[in-house]
Amino acid sequence: MSGHVAAFRANAREHGASITVAALSSGFGVLLLQATNMLTAYIDHQSVAQHGTAQAAIGILAVVFLLIAVYVGAIVTTNTFATVIAGRRKSIALMRLVGASANSLRASVAGEGLVVGVIGSLIGAAAGLAVSLAGLWILVDSRFVPSLNYPLVNPFIAAPIVVVVVTTWAASWVGARRVLDVTPLEAVGSSEESPSADARANPARNIAAIVLFVGGMALIGLGIAAGQTGVFGLPIAFLGGVGSFTGLTIGARMFMPVILRLVGVFFGRSAPANLAARNALRYPERSTRTTIGLVIGIALVTTLTVASQTFESLILSAQHGSPQQFAGTTAVLDVILPTFAGLIGFSIIIAAVGVVNNLSLSVLQRSRELGLLRALGFSSKQVRSMILIESAQMTITATLVGLLLGLFYGWAGAQSLLGSVSKRFSGIGFVPLSIPWLFVLVTVLIAMVFAAAASIGPIRRAARITPVMALAAE
Amino acid sequence: MGRRACSRRLLIVDGVVSGEAEETYVARVANLTKSYGDGSNRVTALDDVSIGIERGSFTAIMGPSGSGKSTLMHVMAGLDSPSSGRVWLGDTDISGLGDAELTLIRRRRVGFVFQSFNLVPTLDVQGNIYLPFELDGRRPTADEERRIAALIQSLGLADRQSHRPHQLSGGQQQRVAIARALGTQPDLIFADEPTGNLDSKTGREVLSILSAASSETGQTVAMVTHDPIAASYADRILFLGDGKVIDELSRSTAEQISQRMLLMEPRS
Repeated sequence: MSGHVAAFRANAREHGASITVAALSSGFGVLLLQATNMLTAYIDHQSVAQHGTAQAAIGILAVVFLLIAVYVGAIVTTNTFATVIAGRRKSIALMRLVGASANSLRASVAGEGLVVGVIGSLIGAAAGLAVSLAGLWILVDSRFVPSLNYPLVNPFIAAPIVVVVVTTWAASWVGARRVLDVTPLEAVGSSEESPSADARANPARNIAAIVLFVGGMALIGLGIAAGQTGVFGLPIAFLGGVGSFTGLTIGARMFMPVILRLVGVFFGRSAPANLAARNALRYPERSTRTTIGLVIGIALVTTLTVASQTFESLILSAQHGSPQQFAGTTAVLDVILPTFAGLIGFSIIIAAVGVVNNLSLSVLQRSRELGLLRALGFSSKQVRSMILIESAQMTITATLVGLLLGLFYGWAGAQSLLGSVSKRFSGIGFVPLSIPWLFVLVTVLIAMVFAAAASIGPIRRAARITPVMALAAE
Repeated sequence: MGRRACSRRLLIVDGVVSGEAEETYVARVANLTKSYGDGSNRVTALDDVSIGIERGSFTAIMGPSGSGKSTLMHVMAGLDSPSSGRVWLGDTDISGLGDAELTLIRRRRVGFVFQSFNLVPTLDVQGNIYLPFELDGRRPTADEERRIAALIQSLGLADRQSHRPHQLSGGQQQRVAIARALGTQPDLIFADEPTGNLDSKTGREVLSILSAASSETGQTVAMVTHDPIAASYADRILFLGDGKVIDELSRSTAEQISQRMLLMEPRS
């Protein structure tokens, strides 16, 4: 362990993003479990009938939200480590040259990941605990909730702390796979980087992704059909949704680069745009991992928003028929769905850390190439716009894919739940897709502002690169 | 004889800028000094250097590490600014220009060939060769297209145009870099140890290409090198030491150049 700590300290600067991600995940988990615990005590006090069911439901939901955040965090950390390794190839090759085995080097990188996980997870847990206790104190103090004997610490918060440490460790191990590709010879020559190492396909994974996606889509179809006649549509479609979305996530490498390329076309044919578009596709695996985290978060939030809006508009039209039957339903939805969306949306913040980090590391690793462009007559303004376009290309692609997936899944959910209701009231078993325009607009605006903000640091760093750097022989 | 030729040239450059100097020299520096750091850490890389590079010539700049040859090249190419003295590219005084103007000068009037090739890894051969035009936001004219096509043909890159740099050998990469530098017909091509990463046969091919560009199409080339064989391809060889021009030779064999280099070594 002491060796891992030493390795970590030597490379601490590269691990800021991974620590942040681990801290966000564990802090979120701790806060979630603390809130669940306090909520349970509150429900106990209210002694609502069936409160056992409510508690179980809250517990399950907390676990689901936590898993989503941890999963996105793991993707970001894997990517960060893969990127860090790409920047360390020369020194890894040197270690191999003097006799270190590839596996021991990989284990050493994973050891850094373990230290990152422990530090990040503990920081996050402390922050989560502090926020939960402060929040409780404020709520009680302002008499928003009655003063009860609330449990101060939920013993289960050990779970997210441990889970985050283990996933960070595992993610760093996966991200360090490229260590195995480094040959000792790379330390000797000034060999060109070979992008082919990144492009290696993983057939088993692709097949699993396709099976999950196709099977899931079939289940969604079945769920929609079943929704025409009864109430079993939603659970079937939900399973299909989970399956197909998992398929999309693990098979993202098959389609995200294609979409990135298509979006890149819209930035025009100028030299900065052209180079930016190519940079976004330079390491397809990295770009995929960078964007898919955002896609997951945006798609899930959109799904909930679309489902609730579709539900509401259908209820509204149904209410014309029998107002009493649905009174109060929308009020509940208005509170619960935004809360869920917010909790799922937390993963977007984690993914955003990944986007910023990917962009700044890629500028750091490209300083020689950026110097070359400056020497050849790329103005500093052109460098700025190139990096901004790279940022925008990734963010906009992720946002569009996330929104489209969310629109589909949201509609499919509403359709499978309400098909029979719609049939009963309007005679057609088809629930029209209700697009939440305001939500879409706000999401796109936030994405654009984020893309610009994410590029500020990397642009500043790139501005310090002088053309002379390109001439310095390695 | 070399020494005399040298001082005659220096006299012209040192004197008042005349119309004759502008026509003869593609690039000139006068009383150029470049130093880094302050106070006791001050390092003078170039000390009152005045030279001119004739239009259409192939000049080699030689000198040991730390002699200032790279700094001289950086300043003449508009990559770095002088501490004092003046620098002209053609009839433009570039000594006082800001980053934006220097960028345009480099884009349109200077070509670069580097030791480590420095192609853009995401662009294929054609993309790299046309990059200077793309940076300028313009399409090459029909004339330029024809010339570049002929260039690609003569450099043996015709069947490599859609290859990416990592798919090419070192010699091929360097030929792409030369095509990129020649494509815009710049006033001056700067080559920084262009054969440093190549085997001797490939290195000679690259030198022949640079030499032919100068003798056949009148392209001015300035090359920094410490290899006497590379320098033997040049029309003129400048020797730098401790930030000053200390000697000059006209076209010479590798043996003569080596001899001169050995004479410059301080005896202990």
